[in-house]
Amino acid sequence: MTAKIEGLKTKKKVLENPPQTIQIKIQRRERPDKSSYWETFEISYRRNLNVISALMEIRKNPVTKDGKKTTPPVWDMSCLEQVCGICTMVINGRVRQACSALIDDLLIESGSNVITLQPMSKFPNIRDLKVDRSRMFEHLKQVKAWIELDGTHDLGPGPRMSNDEALQRYAYSRCMTCGCCLEACPQYHDNNYIGPQAIAQARLFNMHPTGRMNMQERLEGLMGEDGITNCGNAQNCVKVCPKNIPLTKAIYETNRDITLNVLFGWLKK
Amino acid sequence: MYGEKVFNDAVADIHHLPFLLFIEIFGIFLPLLFHSVYGIFISAEAKVNVFNYNYARNWLYVFQRVTGVFLFFFILFHILHFRFGLFGSFGLTDTPVAGNADKAFAIVAGDFQSVGILIFYILGVAATAWHLGYGMFLFAVDWGMIIGEKAQKIALYACALVAFCLFAAGTNAAFSFVRPCGLMPEALCGMEKQEKKVENPEPLAPRRF
Repeated sequence: MTAKIEGLKTKKKVLENPPQTIQIKIQRRERPDKSSYWETFEISYRRNLNVISALMEIRKNPVTKDGKKTTPPVWDMSCLEQVCGICTMVINGRVRQACSALIDDLLIESGSNVITLQPMSKFPNIRDLKVDRSRMFEHLKQVKAWIELDGTHDLGPGPRMSNDEALQRYAYSRCMTCGCCLEACPQYHDNNYIGPQAIAQARLFNMHPTGRMNMQERLEGLMGEDGITNCGNAQNCVKVCPKNIPLTKAIYETNRDITLNVLFGWLKK
Repeated sequence: MYGEKVFNDAVADIHHLPFLLFIEIFGIFLPLLFHSVYGIFISAEAKVNVFNYNYARNWLYVFQRVTGVFLFFFILFHILHFRFGLFGSFGLTDTPVAGNADKAFAIVAGDFQSVGILIFYILGVAATAWHLGYGMFLFAVDWGMIIGEKAQKIALYACALVAFCLFAAGTNAAFSFVRPCGLMPEALCGMEKQEKKVENPEPLAPRRF
């Protein structure tokens, strides 16, 4: 646990000679049924810009680099502190949250003054940088990512959980359903695979003493054609997860549960 | 590396297995066909993104699929050529090893005189060794046997070691067809050869009886 949290601290490099202007290249789309196109905007550099504030600059005066007047780009945002996950997009080829993507860092990383912004490619694109991620909610329903608590009478206090288990569950509970893991997964496309996000949530509730009672149903949700078997072990999910969730651990632990379930489950029937 | 006679005897031993055709079909051809066709089908679906997500495990993911596709062609050639004697028109022999145990070494050695074939086989051995080594690792991971980060690291090194040993042994075996004693100093094999000669006065008597 502590190692994971220490991993969050990154070495801070300072941009020595900032450019006068930066170019933001955006992959745009008017409507879901239209094809996409690129537009490049130029804004003047100032300290402490992030991708969202750069987009806001463009929105103030939506004129492309070539002087063509255009519509302001559309994107999603809400919390602006990497907690809600809604501003997730592909920045310089890598998926991440736009709010926590600082322009200075991006310029240092790429070594140029051009920043490319694309919508996530694994979800239906609604407009410009905005995508429809509702299928991730469907995935959560598929694995019954909740705890059944139903009764008209007082059920009393729930069972106790060890501190160690609570810490492990806490790691999984940080998921904000941003979709980074699915975007970076080489196995996930056309919604053919339920993906690390839902598997980790299934694990979260399978580890809960009350949630464990419905473990069988959750595992069944992961054993279909789009189930956990589609994992290709590229482990990109755990590398790109902005919340440092041990997604691969969730996958492998669930693998074990499912293997035991498949090998010995039928013997109980 | 023990020389021509030992190899031919080993081939003859395989020929003497009972129910050989049954073992070939259900133990080799059908499982291999399923694994390769299904594997290529899965590989075709992969959305490779190693250039944007440049991580070691992502490269291994791609490499497992690349070696798989290469091995499909390599093994196809290997079976068609040495089992069924095809591709004779490419300057190679058209006598299959299967059914010609007494000539087995000479057939393979003859084809390995071509540098291209030798390189192709060494690449094939390398790809097979890695595909198997990493495949064992994936098996352990996918069945939920090796879960933790550290455990996976150790297991990966162990599997890489297995792959390297198989690659070394396989390359040595390939070279044994063109040079006595393969890649090892010849002095190492000279003695072994003589011992073997005394040991096996009746080569065709199946050893298991």
